[in-house]
Amino acid sequence: MRPWWFRLLGYARSERSGLLSLALLMVAGIAFATLTPWPMKIIVDYVLPGKALPQNLQWISALPGAASPAGLLAWLVGSTVLLFIAARTLSTIQNYVQAGVGTRMVYHLGADLFDHLQRLSLRVHSQQRAGDLVRRVTNDSGCVRDVVTGVFLPMITSTLSLITMFAVMWQLDRSLSLLALLAAIPLPIFMKILTPRMVQRTYHQAELQGDLMAHVEQTLTALPVVQAFGRESHSDTVFRSISDRILRAYLRTLLSQAWFKVFVGAPTAIGSAVIMAVGALHVLQGSLSVGSLLVFLAYLGALYGPISGLAYLSSSFASAAGSSRRVLEMLDVDPGVRDASKAKPLPTHPVGVRGHVQLRDVSFGYESDRAVLRGVTLEAFPGEVVAIVGPTGAGKSTLVSLIPRFFDPWEGSVILDGIDVRDLKLSSLRAQVAVVLQEPFLLPLTVAENIAYGRPEASREEVVAAAATANADEFIQELPRGYDTVIGERGSTLSGGEKQRIAIARALLKDASILILDEPTSALDASTEASLLEALERLMAGRTTFVIAHRLSTIRNADRIVVIENGQVIETGTHDELIAGSKSYRRYYNLQSGSAQAEADMRAHDPVEAEVQEK
Amino acid sequence: MIKYRRLLKYASRQWPVLVAIAGLTVMSSAVSVFQPWPLKVMVDYALGNATLPSSLAAFLARFPVSTTTALICLAAIASVALFIINSVVDVAMTWAWVAYGERAVYDLAADLFDRLQRLSLVVHSRRSVGDSLTRLTRDAYCIYGVVQGVLSPIQHLLTLTTVGFVAWRLDPSLAMLILVIAPIHAGSASFFAPRLKRRAQKSRKQESSLLNFVHQTLTSIPLVQAFGTEDRNAQQFRRMASDAVALSQRGVLLGNAYGIVNGLTAVLFNALVLYLGAQRVLSGQVTTGSLLVFLAYMNSLQGALGGLLSRYATMKSLEVNIDRVLEILDLDPEVRERPGAITFPASPAGGRGHVRLDDITFGYESGRPVLKSVSLEAHPGEVIALVGPTGAGKSTLVSLIPRFFDPWKGRVIVDGLDVRDVKLSSLRAQVALVLQDPFLLPMTVAENIAYGRPDASRDDVVGAAVDANADEFISRLRHGYDTIVGERGSTLSGGEKQRIAIARALLKDAPILILDEPTSALDATTEALLLEALERLVVGRTTFIIAHRLSTIRNADRIVVIDHGRVAETGTHDELVTGNGHYSRFHSLQFGNLARSEATR
Repeated sequence: MRPWWFRLLGYARSERSGLLSLALLMVAGIAFATLTPWPMKIIVDYVLPGKALPQNLQWISALPGAASPAGLLAWLVGSTVLLFIAARTLSTIQNYVQAGVGTRMVYHLGADLFDHLQRLSLRVHSQQRAGDLVRRVTNDSGCVRDVVTGVFLPMITSTLSLITMFAVMWQLDRSLSLLALLAAIPLPIFMKILTPRMVQRTYHQAELQGDLMAHVEQTLTALPVVQAFGRESHSDTVFRSISDRILRAYLRTLLSQAWFKVFVGAPTAIGSAVIMAVGALHVLQGSLSVGSLLVFLAYLGALYGPISGLAYLSSSFASAAGSSRRVLEMLDVDPGVRDASKAKPLPTHPVGVRGHVQLRDVSFGYESDRAVLRGVTLEAFPGEVVAIVGPTGAGKSTLVSLIPRFFDPWEGSVILDGIDVRDLKLSSLRAQVAVVLQEPFLLPLTVAENIAYGRPEASREEVVAAAATANADEFIQELPRGYDTVIGERGSTLSGGEKQRIAIARALLKDASILILDEPTSALDASTEASLLEALERLMAGRTTFVIAHRLSTIRNADRIVVIENGQVIETGTHDELIAGSKSYRRYYNLQSGSAQAEADMRAHDPVEAEVQEK
Repeated sequence: MIKYRRLLKYASRQWPVLVAIAGLTVMSSAVSVFQPWPLKVMVDYALGNATLPSSLAAFLARFPVSTTTALICLAAIASVALFIINSVVDVAMTWAWVAYGERAVYDLAADLFDRLQRLSLVVHSRRSVGDSLTRLTRDAYCIYGVVQGVLSPIQHLLTLTTVGFVAWRLDPSLAMLILVIAPIHAGSASFFAPRLKRRAQKSRKQESSLLNFVHQTLTSIPLVQAFGTEDRNAQQFRRMASDAVALSQRGVLLGNAYGIVNGLTAVLFNALVLYLGAQRVLSGQVTTGSLLVFLAYMNSLQGALGGLLSRYATMKSLEVNIDRVLEILDLDPEVRERPGAITFPASPAGGRGHVRLDDITFGYESGRPVLKSVSLEAHPGEVIALVGPTGAGKSTLVSLIPRFFDPWKGRVIVDGLDVRDVKLSSLRAQVALVLQDPFLLPMTVAENIAYGRPDASRDDVVGAAVDANADEFISRLRHGYDTIVGERGSTLSGGEKQRIAIARALLKDAPILILDEPTSALDATTEALLLEALERLVVGRTTFIIAHRLSTIRNADRIVVIDHGRVAETGTHDELVTGNGHYSRFHSLQFGNLARSEATR
């Protein structure tokens, strides 16, 4: 497999022009950095001792007013200012371009990760913590910037400036240059030895930070239980213990960085000292001028920058490796459900009517050894209402989740209007399916935006019409800002029935040919349910509907009732057929309607309910 | 500045580390005084013709090599030694800073977290989880800046005085030049600071909204996928991201402009010192080496001065984060423990679990009351059923008992004590609840059951699970009681989750029990299983049950019908069903279709 940084470099490709101009700016910057110590050298070597400038520098004294030592001095001093301004301007442009390139790459990677995550099958999501995922998108995606503008670009410039400065030093004094080179030899070895540990520690630290975020997120979303069970102090302790571990991990990371710095800094410092001593001897022997020695030392100082830069490169490389692992790990998760290469959109007007759904011998489970559905076969004709009943955990919700392809079955196939759903484009498949779930999942947008969630281009009239059909218009009008009221996160200021009516309006507006109702009314009381049922009937008209409900009143009018137990279809038929011929359905029915006329029979039949009744 | 003082308490907690940092700071100032000297010695005495001070000459004479060679070696060794000291100090200082700063950050974050989780649910209903996350994980870092804001001026001042003093001794008039640039630095700091702050504010907001968006999307994946909004979300992400790019570029530009102004001041100043200093070398007043030392000093003075003044700008941009942190700390928890709050007596007279609601009015938004003058009394062991249309205020009413909210008007009295006079932990220990959403946490099944009593033995946990009819399916899970529940309980079915929640409530063993539609998400068969478990749970406890199915309600000692935030009717099932009120309508509504279908059959 390609190394991780290579994959990240893919994101650099789209920023080619920006990166190219960055490289050019850097080269120009190196030129200025190389020139910087020279005015000082000329001052020390020629102006201060009162010597004449050598042949190749004569042009300086030809400048206006440079004939006198004071004038010459002024020109030289002025040139330091000019060099600074030029270098600084370059670096500003460079920073500007770099910020753009860097952030763009980060968000590009973040967007890819985000997009990938939201397409991952629900099965994958059930095993991930949302807080940790958020952190991967918003924090860890920074690794691409760290690698490209924090490692590769500096590596190129550091290498280039090392070469340039070395070339100049070589011209000034060869043996000194060789000495400088000698001092640099141990550096790569140290880097090689110290880097892996830094990578490991950085990754560990990032993992812990993800844990902390996840803990906070979980606690805040489950707050009613946390408070009711008085677990605030405990969850506070957990927070502190994770943060302690983060701190310790950070300090360990820092320790390995410190070692790194020492091992890389020492050769440089000793090298400088040796060069200073040997250089001074050379000055005494007359083979080197004081000014040149200063240039040498200035370069060594300047070299220390790139070299320790290179050293830090491997430490930032290490930390980028840590976070990139967290990003790529998620990018590599098989979405489970994805468009086949030959996937095609659903034909707009298939022959006959739309919404013909078949499940053929479908088996599926969330964990490999725990099948939830076993060989389920089921057919729904366009416009038919199919009710699915059975005990909780029998696989009813799982079954209907296979239709919009939230999961792919282990075995068997789901066929929509004659086409296997795996051969359809996901977007086109899901456009055909509207769902109303038990949890309405309203987003912190305005009511109107929530209703138009599946069709954002819908006009206000359409939104209001959908709301009216869903019996929601009345209470929406009473909200402080009507349709423009922003719903509190997780819909807290609306009641369950209100939320569900908005969800129904949302499904109505989507206007799909298949409708899935997964216990839409189970959280509601009977009179609210009655007003919802009316709305649901309007929603069901002309659509193939799968309804899961516990209250038989909702089910009875279905065209067909499918009874599921232990992941298998055990009975199919109309209410009347089943009530006449099926033990299991009748028992179920009796249990449910236990409180009405059937009460007396039920007491005789079912000891559990009888016991409850007696209390 | 008051703001900083409040945060400084986090900074002062580990004062020994602070003392160490201060010590290290002094050392690094000292090192910066000595650093340029080896070069001066070399340039002046070894390479130039200046005569050595006699003490140094006598010292060097002791070595078996020529004075000049000895001097050169000495200078080289000194510079290595200075480097070593410098890097040791540097490493130690980074270490101390991180150990100290990160600790302060996490202390602050922990306090923020603790504050957040104790806020009343009303406050949370108005806050987004994503926003709280950013404040905890990012804005808490402002404490670093606050500490630096206090300590680094000390360091800079120290450098300014020591190095300034030495420089002044070398050449007083040149050293005074540093005073010329001080106002320039000050001016640029006061010009750029507010702009940098505004910039920081904007990018913070941008980041926060992006984070929120990501969080919101990732927690509503079923909706996102069912409505096929992936592409739209991806576009939205990209749009927000490109705004962030533009913001960050503008920020860089501003930061660099600030850098240029400061850098230019510095370089002009250096040029001036070089020019004037070189003139003095020419006229023989100072040596070349001294000029070099002087230039090095001026550089560090300059750095210290710049650092000192730009601190203002940095602090200014930190204010954004500080404000966001303080906002949380200042948030009114709404439900707050009274200073002299007491704990419940172990066994109050008249038994435990007596609950009285006295003329209660409450709502989530002002002007939109949900409950209007509700009064209600439950005697120990009584089962009270609350019925009424969705949105009538039933859940809100029972939430007042464990004091998730405080009523606007009226009192909640448990065992003769106003709940506001009781310690929250003691009050909530009296109440167990089973809600419609079971809210399982991603830990093992056993830990979830023992959530209210983490010290419970495994036997107790299994016992509770058995009573809740949950033992059987738990034993079939892959790791039994040690199976970790997927986030928000996704790999268990609704009935299984709810049975775990019942086991959790059983294990808590509280005198008051709140059942808020515990079975409404379940089918009839599962409900039957659950009802059996609930029966065991209800025994001997004052129970408030909200349910929609009349089968669940009928056996209550008393049924209270709530409508539009008011108690509409009270009585037993038989009393109410014969009357012509809400309840009998409600009753016939639920069974209406049934009767109709019975008729058609």
